Amino acid sequence: MDQQIVNAIFIGSIYALFAVGYTLVFGILDILNLAHSAVFMLGAATTYTLVVKYGQVFWVASVVGIAASALMGLVIEHVCLRPLRRRQAPPIAALISTIGLALIIVAAVEQGKQGSLFSWLWVDGANSVAFPAGTIPNPTWHVADLSLDASKVVIIPVSIALMLVLGYVMRYTQIGRGLRAVAENPRAARLMGLDVDRMITLTLVISSALGGLAGILFGVALGDISPYIGRDNVEVRGLAVIVLGGMGSIPGAVIGGYLLGLVEILAVVTFGSSVRGGVAFAALFLLLILRPQGLFGTRLRERI
Amino acid sequence: MNRTRLFGWLVATLLVAACGSTGGGGGGNANSYSGKTIKFGAVLSITGAGGVYGPQSRDGAKLAVKEINASGGVNGAQIELTVEDDASDKAQSQQKAQTLITSNNVLAFLGPTLSNSAVAVHPLAESLKTPVLAVSTTGIHIVPDCKFPETTPCKYVFRDSLGEETAIPANIKAYAADSHPKTGVLLVAQDDKFSSDGGTIVQKTVAQYNIDLLKTIPFSKNDADLSPYVTQAVQLKPDVIFITSLGGIPAKIMTAARNQGWQGQFLGGNGFNTATVSKQAGAAGTGARSASAWYIGNEFASNKDFVTAYKNEYSKDPDQFAAQGYTGLKILADAAKRANLTFTDTAGDRDKLRAAIETVNIQSPLGPFQFTSSHDVKQTVWIIQMDGAGGFKLVHEVKAS
Amino acid sequence: MAIGAYVSVLMSNYWHTPGVVSTIAAALLAGVIGFLVGLPVLRLRGVFLAIATIGFIEALRLGVILNVPITGEGLGLSNTRSADPLGAINFILVSLIVIVFVVWRLTKGRLGNAWAAIRQDELAALSQGIDVARYKMIAFVLSALMAGYAGALEAHLFFNIDPGDAQYGVTRAVQVLTFAVLGGSGFVLGPVVGALIITLLPYIFQGAGDYINILAGVFLIAVIVFRPQGIVGRGGLALVRPAWWPKARVSAASPG
Repeated sequence: MDQQIVNAIFIGSIYALFAVGYTLVFGILDILNLAHSAVFMLGAATTYTLVVKYGQVFWVASVVGIAASALMGLVIEHVCLRPLRRRQAPPIAALISTIGLALIIVAAVEQGKQGSLFSWLWVDGANSVAFPAGTIPNPTWHVADLSLDASKVVIIPVSIALMLVLGYVMRYTQIGRGLRAVAENPRAARLMGLDVDRMITLTLVISSALGGLAGILFGVALGDISPYIGRDNVEVRGLAVIVLGGMGSIPGAVIGGYLLGLVEILAVVTFGSSVRGGVAFAALFLLLILRPQGLFGTRLRERI
Repeated sequence: MNRTRLFGWLVATLLVAACGSTGGGGGGNANSYSGKTIKFGAVLSITGAGGVYGPQSRDGAKLAVKEINASGGVNGAQIELTVEDDASDKAQSQQKAQTLITSNNVLAFLGPTLSNSAVAVHPLAESLKTPVLAVSTTGIHIVPDCKFPETTPCKYVFRDSLGEETAIPANIKAYAADSHPKTGVLLVAQDDKFSSDGGTIVQKTVAQYNIDLLKTIPFSKNDADLSPYVTQAVQLKPDVIFITSLGGIPAKIMTAARNQGWQGQFLGGNGFNTATVSKQAGAAGTGARSASAWYIGNEFASNKDFVTAYKNEYSKDPDQFAAQGYTGLKILADAAKRANLTFTDTAGDRDKLRAAIETVNIQSPLGPFQFTSSHDVKQTVWIIQMDGAGGFKLVHEVKAS
Repeated sequence: MAIGAYVSVLMSNYWHTPGVVSTIAAALLAGVIGFLVGLPVLRLRGVFLAIATIGFIEALRLGVILNVPITGEGLGLSNTRSADPLGAINFILVSLIVIVFVVWRLTKGRLGNAWAAIRQDELAALSQGIDVARYKMIAFVLSALMAGYAGALEAHLFFNIDPGDAQYGVTRAVQVLTFAVLGGSGFVLGPVVGALIITLLPYIFQGAGDYINILAGVFLIAVIVFRPQGIVGRGGLALVRPAWWPKARVSAASPG
C-alpha cells in the first residue's frame, strides 16, 4: 500500500503541474485552452528529438523544449485568441480555435517520420518511445521497502516549487496584480492603463511553459512519449482536475491534481481494472452537476 | 546487390523444386501470365502500438517480392505489393483493408498485424470473398472461426503465424519442467484481443503445472502509468510474472518490476518476440522467456538463405515477424503460380487463388510449410529468452505433436 | 453514438432483430438517456456544459462499456451478423436526406423560432414568455436521438464495434463539433457541408496525403477567425477582417 501512495503522489504531481497551466488561462481569460495538452506533448517530443536526433545533453534539450512550448503559447495567443477577442466572440469560439491548433500540432508530430516534412521535429510517427537508457541519470533508491525512481522523486519538489513561485507572483508582485486585474475586469484594467494584450500573452507563455515542463517530466518518469500522450493522458483528466479544484483556482488545481492521482490509484487497488478512467470522469460529471464551483471554490466568479 | 540477386535465384530455385516435388499442383498456362501484374496488398501496423512488429513483417514481405520479381516473377507476371499502415487502430485497419479490396483490387492481402484488428478485417475479407493471410496474429478465433461467436469456418482466412494456444502452454510447460515455480501473477492488457486471449490461455494452463496464480491484474493498453499495477504484482512476491501484452508495455513492466526489486521470472507470449522489445527492456529483460515460431539460428537452407538475404538488404538481423511476412508473401506467390489466373475476372481469380493457397507446400524460413485443414499452421516451437542486449537465445526446441 | 451503436448491435446479436428495428430502438434509447442526462446538465452553461458532457462521455466509455461483460469490455463487440459495409451506405444516404429535411422543417416552425430566440439572447427569450428550459431540452433530446441513430447506422459498417477514443470518446466528439463549426452551426446544412469537406479533404488535396489533419486544423482556425458563422452561413461570402489584416486585401477578397 505504501508504494501505491508513492505512485499516487508521482502521477498526481504531473496532473497538478499540467492543470495549473490549464487553470491559469481559464482564470484570467475565461477560456478553455484545449491546445494545452498538445503543448504538453510538444514539450516532451521536442526534448526527446533534441536528445536522440541532435545528440544534445538532456538538460539543454529540456530547456529548449520548455522554450518551444512557451513559444507555442505565443502562437496560441496570436493565432487562436487575439483575433477572436478583437471581435468579442463567445468563449466557445476560442475553445474551437484551440482545438484546431491542437489538431495541427498533434498531426505534425504524428507525421514526423523518416523522409517526411516534419522529420526535423520527430522521427517516430505514431510510435511510443522512451529516452534511451543512459541519457538521463535515473537511479532507483530503496528507502525502507519503498523503491523510488530518481526521475519521479525530482518531480515533486519541482512541481511544488514552481507552483509556490507562481502563487507568490500572482499574489504579491506587480505582474500578478496586473494579471488579476485583467481577470477581474479587462475593460477596467485597460482604462487603468494596463497593457491587457501583453498581460494575456504573458499568461499564455507561462501556462504553456508549465505545460511543456509537465510533458517532459511525464516523458522521463513514465518512459512514454508519443504524439498522443497529451490527448490520452492529461487532456480530459486536466479538465477533471480543474473542475475538482474550482475553475481558475491555482491552489485548487494543485490539490485537485493530487486528489485525482490518489482516487485513480485507489480505484486500481480496490476495483483493479480500467475503472480507473471511469471513476475520474464519473466524479467530474457528478461534481459539475452537484457543485459546479468545485470542491474548494467558494463562489463561481472568484479566482486565483 | 548482385549478392541479393544471387540469393533470390537460390530461393526461387528452391521454390520451383518444392513445387516440382508436390507434383506441380498447378500446371497452368504460363504464357497467359507474362507481362501481367499480380496485385497483392498488406494491412500492417507500421506505427502505433504494433509499430514494433509491423515494419519487420513489411520488410520481410518486400524482400520476398523483390526476390520473386528479380527472378522472373510468377510465371512471368510481376508482383505488385501495396502496404497500408493501419496505425494499430481497429477501425482504420478495416477501412484500409476495404480500400485494398474494392479500390486497389488486390487478389489477396497479408495482415493485419494485430489480432485486435483482425476481428474487424478478417470478417470483411470473408464477406468480400478475398483471401487474407494473417502473418502475425496469434489470438484465439482467428482461424478458422474468424466470425466468432459464429462458428461457421471462414473460407478465405489463413494464417502462417503460431497461435498462442500452442505457444503459451509450450512456454509454461518448458519453464515448469526447468524450475518448478509455485506461484505466479498475470498482468494482462484487457482491452486488446491478443493480450486478453493470452491471459485467458495462461489462466487455463497454469493449474496443469501446479502453479498457483495468485492474482490476475488487468490494465488498459492506453495506460501510460503502469506503476500501480506493477506494484500490486511485486507485492505478492510471485515466482513468475506472466505478461500478456504488446508494444512497449512488456518492456516497461519489466523495467518497473526490476526497479521495485523483484527478481523472479518473466514469461510471455508473441508480444516479446521482436528485437525492439528485447532492446527496450534491456538488462531488465534478461532471461524473459517466450515461445517463438522461428529461430534465427536454424541451419536448414530456406532459413539460412532468408537470413543472409535479409541482412544484405536491411543491414540488420531479421526477427520472427520478418520471417512470417516473408513466408506469407512466398505462400501467396506460390499459390498464384498454380492458380491459373485469368487477370480479367478479379472475383474468379480470388477464388482460384484461395483454392490454391489451401494446397501450398513450400520450403520456408519457418520450415516445410503446409496449412492444416483449419487454415492454420502446425510447426516446431522454439522457446527463446531475451539476452539483455536486444537479442534472443534459444532455450528449448519443442517439436509439433 | 456509443449507446446507439451498442444497443443496435446487441439487439441484432442477441434477439436477431432486423436492422431497421434495432436501429430505431437504439435511437429511442439514446433519446431517453439524452433526456436523463439533460435534466441536470442543462442547468449549466457554456464551457461548464461542455465539460459535463465530456465527463459523461468518458464515464460511460471508460466506466461502463469497458467494464460490462455484455459490451465485450475493452475488446469490442463482434458484429459479424449485421455488418454490411458496402450495402449500408445507400440506407445511410437516404436517412441523411430525410433527417436534414425534418430538421429543416422544424427550424422553420415555432420550435425553430424559439430556438433562434434562445440563441440570440436567453434572457430576452425568457422575458418574452418562451419556456427556455423546455426548448433546450427538446434540442438536447433530438440531438441525442440523431446521434443514437447515427451510431446505430455506423455500427452496420463495421464488423467489430471498438470502444476506442476515436470511435466514442472525446476525440470523436471533437471531430463532430469540428464538422458543425466548419460548416456553420446555425444552419441545418452546415454540419453536412462541414462533414463533407473534412471527409473529402484527403481526396481534394491528394498531394497533401498524410498531412491532411494539419490542413483540417488550419481550416478550422481560419473559419473561426475569418468566418465565425461557418462556411454555410449568413452574409453570403463575406469574411470577417481581423484587426491585424491589411484592409485592402480583404475588401478585394469579399465581393459580397
